[in-house]
Amino acid sequence: MEKLLEIAKKAAEQVDIYREETVSDSVSFEDAKLKDVDSSLQSGLRLTLLKQGRLGSAYTRNLIDRQGLVDNALASLAAGTEAGYELPQTKAPEKLSTYDPSIEELSNTRVVDECQRACDLLTGRVKAQLSVAAGKTVTRLRVMNSRGTDLSTELSDYTGYAAAHYPGSYSSVHRVKTAKGFVQFDQEDIDFIADTYNASQKEAKPASGPTKVLFLPEAMYVLMWRIFAATNAKSFYQKVSPVQDKLNQKLFSEMLTITDEPLNDSRPGARTFDDEGTACRTLPIVEKGVLRNFYSDLYYAWKLGAQPSGHGFRGSIEHKATPNLAHITMKPGDKSLKELLGVMDSGVIVSGVLGAHSGNILNGDFSVGLAPGFRVEKGEITGHVKDAMVSGNIYDVLKNVVAVGDKLYPGNMGWFPAMLLADVNFAVKG
Amino acid sequence: MFDKLKSILAKVRADYSDVRYEIKRETKIGFSGKELTLLVSSDTDGYVLRAVADGGMATTAFTRFEDAEKAAKTVVENARLVAGRARRRVELAKTDVVKETYLPELKEDPRKVPIEEKLALVRAYNDIPLKNEKVSTTDIAYVDTVREKHFASSEGSEIHEDLVTTRVAGVIVTKEGNLVQTTRVGVGGSDGMARARNREDEFERRTKLAVDLLKAEPVKGGTHRVVLDQRLAGVFTHEAFGHFSEADLIEDSPTMREKMKLGAKLGNDVVNIKDDPTMPGQLGFYKYDDEGVRARPVQLMKAGVLVGRLHSRRTAAAFGEPLSGHCVAEDYRYAPIIRMGNIYIEPSDKKLEELLAMLGNGLYLLNAMGGQTSGENFTFGAQYGYVVKDGKPGQMVRDINIGGNLYQTLENITAVGNDLKLGEIGGCGKGQLNIRSCHGAPHVLVKSVVVGGR
Repeated sequence: MEKLLEIAKKAAEQVDIYREETVSDSVSFEDAKLKDVDSSLQSGLRLTLLKQGRLGSAYTRNLIDRQGLVDNALASLAAGTEAGYELPQTKAPEKLSTYDPSIEELSNTRVVDECQRACDLLTGRVKAQLSVAAGKTVTRLRVMNSRGTDLSTELSDYTGYAAAHYPGSYSSVHRVKTAKGFVQFDQEDIDFIADTYNASQKEAKPASGPTKVLFLPEAMYVLMWRIFAATNAKSFYQKVSPVQDKLNQKLFSEMLTITDEPLNDSRPGARTFDDEGTACRTLPIVEKGVLRNFYSDLYYAWKLGAQPSGHGFRGSIEHKATPNLAHITMKPGDKSLKELLGVMDSGVIVSGVLGAHSGNILNGDFSVGLAPGFRVEKGEITGHVKDAMVSGNIYDVLKNVVAVGDKLYPGNMGWFPAMLLADVNFAVKG
Repeated sequence: MFDKLKSILAKVRADYSDVRYEIKRETKIGFSGKELTLLVSSDTDGYVLRAVADGGMATTAFTRFEDAEKAAKTVVENARLVAGRARRRVELAKTDVVKETYLPELKEDPRKVPIEEKLALVRAYNDIPLKNEKVSTTDIAYVDTVREKHFASSEGSEIHEDLVTTRVAGVIVTKEGNLVQTTRVGVGGSDGMARARNREDEFERRTKLAVDLLKAEPVKGGTHRVVLDQRLAGVFTHEAFGHFSEADLIEDSPTMREKMKLGAKLGNDVVNIKDDPTMPGQLGFYKYDDEGVRARPVQLMKAGVLVGRLHSRRTAAAFGEPLSGHCVAEDYRYAPIIRMGNIYIEPSDKKLEELLAMLGNGLYLLNAMGGQTSGENFTFGAQYGYVVKDGKPGQMVRDINIGGNLYQTLENITAVGNDLKLGEIGGCGKGQLNIRSCHGAPHVLVKSVVVGGR
């Protein structure tokens, strides 16, 4: 990398190199039997050049021809993507605990055994088709630039997933476990899957209309996606965010607090710098219902005349950095799941959804199929709901938060509690 | 190249092994609003190694040739681990040993077009919506993706095939007051860059639609009779039905297998569905899949009866059904999995006006906004629609999501149009992305679906 940096510095005013290396193994069980064990070793780098207010880049998996890569990035620069910013000068910050060395010794056989154990525990409790999967990933990242920034980190991640499927469907009750090192499914996970599945076996048909709806942590991303799209610096810059002029206004219930916590190294994936080398920091997005911040990468921070917030992430070398919230956590409330059902009395639980990505996301609209959803009567789950949808707009429904769960779970897009909302549109067929 | 690949296979101590080496060449040029925000053209490469040992199968992907030894060891260990615990021994259906180089005939090879010309093309398209004052921004990109694939197996196959995909696609965002509408637009295909040229009319049409949507009414939720246009009926065919024709998605679900038994009557008599990756010029075209199996057309549904299925070599053997050549990977990072090629409802005899007349009162829904399925239930978005009264489309509606039950909906398709159209833009995410996933249909009449308003 140093050699590449030297060559590139001769060709451009500013140079950035992003390098990633990942080693991963994954194990999956279908219908309670081992199906696949896959491994992957991937490495590569992306070179970004800035010269006379323009940006060019190129990437490769196998760096053989350094000058060739620089020339390619220069060719991309010639066409003129604007970039008038300076690359960050970030001192190597205090190391977080992001790597659990025991992951190196964790064999696929051990992971297979753990999946088997979860299958066996669940097989004794439910008559359902079971899927269990687990995998580990070790990622090594390095970001260096011509302004002296040279940052590197090593991250380990173990994730387990267990699901009980409804007959004839991929709709399931499931749990995800994730940690920096090996972690087992605990009794609470097994109880949740088994008890929820067993209580909801019967098909139920609640009446259509506005109803109390409990979003489980694994379904919260439907609502969060809309907030994250609206608070992306890109949406602000393009003037398509509905909250453009609403920073520091109360838009949601006081029970809603959402924070990006990249430095929280109790969870896997903690970062002190983003993929562009900007220092990461804790960023409140919503505080007690008040919208606090948008998030940005270098490009959109420059376009908006703001400080970059440390949210430029790539995903992989093939992609340029874009604003992304990668470490979201929501403030939990004070109600256990059982208490939430008691408060709800009757209504619908959203556990999994279909179509979270469709509809007018920027506008805050959602309209999703339940896969699965559960009916609640007198504070108890009494069946699962099919052919049904819940819909609304987050700027309406998140004003009406009734109660929030007391425990966070990893879901798509962050760590969330369950959340009970009043008056959400519910439509069922028939 | 093949000598190098054979040297990798020689390191694998297994009953069967194959390796796919790919160079992936991508050019991406993107505009956000009037600004060029992305312009990059780069090549990446890597290897995917598969092995069958003692009746277990596994895959290891790697990017550095120096890792071949390690990968060969890992893949066999993993395969043996699977062998000891799996439900059944892996068998691979017999396929012909093929030695062939197949390079598609292209109307303009994007590898030979200078980047400035590609930039000019997408800039011109992007300028069309931006001229309209109601358009607040766009996100439109030119992307060409070339997969130069080299496949070698321990059985002796050596296949080189190139897949070239070109597209200009993105969204047009319109805004009035607090109301924001996002409209998709896209042109492209698998047979060369020419397909993405001279398509200004499509960008004009989509711009008008994006502006008109600001005046549309949110749809009323409930159960409706509907006519679906070709794109929506295509998404239904792909999402709700097609995925359960993929043998790997149902093989471990005893209940799904029961429902999806060949010979089962699942749909209305008027419904015929086919998947055919060999259709020349269509987005989903390929000659050999990523197991070296020659692609072939598969009749999936005939007069409402399930008659065929999409297979890999492993599932074809496990199901005792014919090979279909549908095992395809996104690129050098992934094991191949079963994918649709070009899936479509076969056309019948009804004109659109006839279908609307048969509909009487209901909704005419158009253009897909993404879909998803969980087995028997599906949900997908429609870009827009019209309230139909006495067979006449009237008020335009938006914010439409449709949901339903696969089997009931297949039964509820009561009439099929004569105007088959296949999509130009793919993008199916089943763990990995398939940019050439192609689907289509004629207009169809469905007598009942759940429509969620916003």
